[in-house]
Amino acid sequence: MSKGYLGIDIGSISTKGVIIDENNNIKASEYLWTEGDPLKAVKRLLSTLKLQLADSQIRIVTVGTTGSARKLIGAMTGASVVKNEITAHAIGAMSIHPEVRTIIEIGGQDSKIILIENGIVIDYAMNTLCAAGTGSFLSSQAQRLHINIEDFGRIALQSTKATPIAARCTVFAESDLVHKAQIGHKKEDIVAGLCKAVVANYLNNVGKGKKIISPVVFQGGVSKNIGVVKAFEELLGMPVAVDPNSHLTGALGVALLAKKSRVEKDFFFDITDIEFKTVGYDCKKCSNNCEIICIYREDQIIDAWGNKCENGAVH
Amino acid sequence: MIIGIPRALLYHKYKHLWKSFFKELGIDYILSPDTNKEILRKGSAYSIDESCLSSKIYLGHVEWLLDKCDYILIPRFSDYSRNGTVCPKFLAIYDVVANIFRDRSINLLSYSINPKVTHVEMAAFLKLGKILNKKKSQSLYAYLNAKQVEKKAHLLEITEQERLLQENKLKILVLAHRYNIFDKYIGEPILNILREQETVPIIGDIAPQKEAIANYAQISETLPWVCNRELVGSIPIYKDRVDGIILMSAFPCGPDSLVNEILIRRIKDKPILNLMIDGQEGKAGMETRLESFIDIIRFKKDEQNGRN
Amino acid sequence: MEEIKASYPQLGNYCTPLELLFTEGFDVKYIVPPPITKKTLALGSRYSPDYVCAPFKYHLGNFIETIEAGANTLVQTGGVCRLQYYGELHEQILQDLGYRVNFVNMSKVQDTNPLTFYNGLKEINPQMSLQKIGKILPIVLKMFEYIDEAENFIRKNIGFESNKGAFEKVHADFLGDLRRVRKKKELKNTYRDYMKLFKGIEINKPADPLKVGIIGEYYTIMEPFSNHYLEKELAQMGIVVDRWMNVTNTLIHYPKKQIQKRIKNYAEYPWVATSMATIDRALEFARKGYDGIIHVKSFGCTPEIDAMPILQNISKDYKIPILYFTFDTQTSETGFNTRLEAFYDMIIMRKETKK
Repeated sequence: MSKGYLGIDIGSISTKGVIIDENNNIKASEYLWTEGDPLKAVKRLLSTLKLQLADSQIRIVTVGTTGSARKLIGAMTGASVVKNEITAHAIGAMSIHPEVRTIIEIGGQDSKIILIENGIVIDYAMNTLCAAGTGSFLSSQAQRLHINIEDFGRIALQSTKATPIAARCTVFAESDLVHKAQIGHKKEDIVAGLCKAVVANYLNNVGKGKKIISPVVFQGGVSKNIGVVKAFEELLGMPVAVDPNSHLTGALGVALLAKKSRVEKDFFFDITDIEFKTVGYDCKKCSNNCEIICIYREDQIIDAWGNKCENGAVH
Repeated sequence: MIIGIPRALLYHKYKHLWKSFFKELGIDYILSPDTNKEILRKGSAYSIDESCLSSKIYLGHVEWLLDKCDYILIPRFSDYSRNGTVCPKFLAIYDVVANIFRDRSINLLSYSINPKVTHVEMAAFLKLGKILNKKKSQSLYAYLNAKQVEKKAHLLEITEQERLLQENKLKILVLAHRYNIFDKYIGEPILNILREQETVPIIGDIAPQKEAIANYAQISETLPWVCNRELVGSIPIYKDRVDGIILMSAFPCGPDSLVNEILIRRIKDKPILNLMIDGQEGKAGMETRLESFIDIIRFKKDEQNGRN
Repeated sequence: MEEIKASYPQLGNYCTPLELLFTEGFDVKYIVPPPITKKTLALGSRYSPDYVCAPFKYHLGNFIETIEAGANTLVQTGGVCRLQYYGELHEQILQDLGYRVNFVNMSKVQDTNPLTFYNGLKEINPQMSLQKIGKILPIVLKMFEYIDEAENFIRKNIGFESNKGAFEKVHADFLGDLRRVRKKKELKNTYRDYMKLFKGIEINKPADPLKVGIIGEYYTIMEPFSNHYLEKELAQMGIVVDRWMNVTNTLIHYPKKQIQKRIKNYAEYPWVATSMATIDRALEFARKGYDGIIHVKSFGCTPEIDAMPILQNISKDYKIPILYFTFDTQTSETGFNTRLEAFYDMIIMRKETKK
């Protein structure tokens, strides 16, 4: 039996999992939709990963979690490392591209920029105002245009003259889209325009005031969209690298962090058979009414958080 | 030597004064063009996201002027006087510009103004003349002359507005900072839509300044900002001669965020539309909002006429 | 006549000296404003215009809460930014909501003449005496200073306490005992005794701990609920927290001239509100080699927004990371934590490579 390290990146839109071996090679990986239920999504994820591992002699010795539901899934899987997604993405990217200076990451609901110098994060930013210009924005526009999000990039590449779209806000973008379609802009030009708008939005919001230095690595779900990649290269005037595993970088990063932590504790896939549930309630002990989240494993509480003061502590 | 003047913020208030002053002194100046999409885009790119739209536009104009002139004129309000204050933006704008463009070898020309004290303004212009290597007597003459031009221009505006008030059409009082309503990109389209809708826009900021300043306290006693005092003070001057009021603000204007709320709560006898502009709305959306406001006014008016 | 029960919205722990000022100075009953909570924010947001800065909403919500707690006289101060106009709109909104209270808006006193100001204050209690105020004011001011000094010490050490909760416990006792203080001597002794207790708390501080300076807008930096308990979060990460902004340094001893001189390279002209202090402190923390700076403000705070391009330049010039937080009434807890944790990871990695 050799050792394996599991990294799970669980976001609001998608859930990613990676298992690496002792030489940091990816032995199993999966990407699926969270569908609003992180616990269930992780169970599905684990089932797939287990199948992928079936023939190998790998034993998972540690788990790391990242993404917005990292704490919950960390409690569920007994993770030894629970890390924010900025650090996880940076570690993951550097393992693939040791020379990277700028990481562009656009996921389902958020986007980030991470600047690296001599192998350490020197600056970063995340989108603050809303989800305009992220993956979910693109999916909803694709839906509106009746095209598959998977075809989005390919269609964009057919355009020779991208239609300018006001995309600072999803609502405005939608009305602008309808307007542009009405006055006869071609579908591929609108699609290319949306790709450009996403990039312009990103550079104006998340990338504002940040010096983007080559080599640039683009990761997260939206990096699979070749139209957006091309728009980035045009607007930045420099090549943008997209790794085949660019959508898994966060999971990879946190798997690496878990491995590095040297905290080992056997992990068993049979937690997919155990019932986990979360119960949220408003603490009534003061008027802060903190939202306390308790996670139960077979009716036994295993973790709780959300309290701002000791009054709300769950023992 | 060429002086660059950004066509934004205080320009709209002081354009006659500045242009005549420089002309009289024989100094060349260059104006940035009317605001356009590109200027706004560039300005936004240089701005902190949360800054107000008007200041983003300003930075776009400054950027346009870089490399096209020797100095860029960035006036600032020097101090608060007992006669009111200005938005903190106007105190900081010089240093904000200097810091944002510090890698672009930019020369700034500044003078400090206090909106209420005439001789302080004069002193500021004399100092400005000195920096430009002009004799004091020359500068003084140029300033006094420019003041006359300014006064004439303002009187002309007022007369023209009085004429518009006589027109037999629906009249809408537009309360907006001069730098927003007279901006070709964010203000003018609103005025045009209003005109297309067969109404006459009445500009609050054109109201006689002294009268407006004497008035504002009737509506809001502790209103601190001079710009807003002038706007609020124009309400008693025009209210009975207009059919509705539009409060147009640039997102997310600090003073307006409070003042508009006061006005909505206190002006009960005229329909009011609170119109927040962020430079992203298309013409279609703007038309819908203005049209429905005007429709409501027309319905109400018809109803009243029917009853009478 | 009905008894006068007056109050001013909560800010940090300053209700303690304010209570002394109101009871002993103005000779009225003081209603301790309920602590700022989610309820305050919900109330304030419901009745405030959307785009107004968050402190306006907190104040409004807290006014309503203090009325519910029995206050019949509310005080709003003036200020140098939008704060100057808060009072008039607060009063209007409360009135429209049907609350009948005596709303004392100090912005009505445009004059800086102390006597005019006193006449303005008299709206709180027409019977108040200048003598009483004169007697208690120095003690009130000193109490502000002592609270600030104690809290400065706590911020720098609480992250390293050996027994969790030790500082908070002594801090609560300190504030409790201050409420009983009436005389200068009592105040001095209380302060001295408690500083001894604070200094006696066992801590386990490394020789070169992570140090983070906090700068930014007046209210958001001082009211912990409004900044998601940022200081507490940092302390739990084992960080020395330094914050200059407090009542002592701004209202009691504001070194305007010195600040203007120190920041001359970045700001040629004087600014208003807290922005000059923000720039000055960023420079100071950068020069002292702190590991990072966190800038906090409420959404749309113009003076602080204008300070940001300068902070960005300071960050470049001194190679010090600055994290910017904007808090509005809907700031997500998840986003806040992610950013803060990533900041921690970043500064600790930087520190390790520096070694």
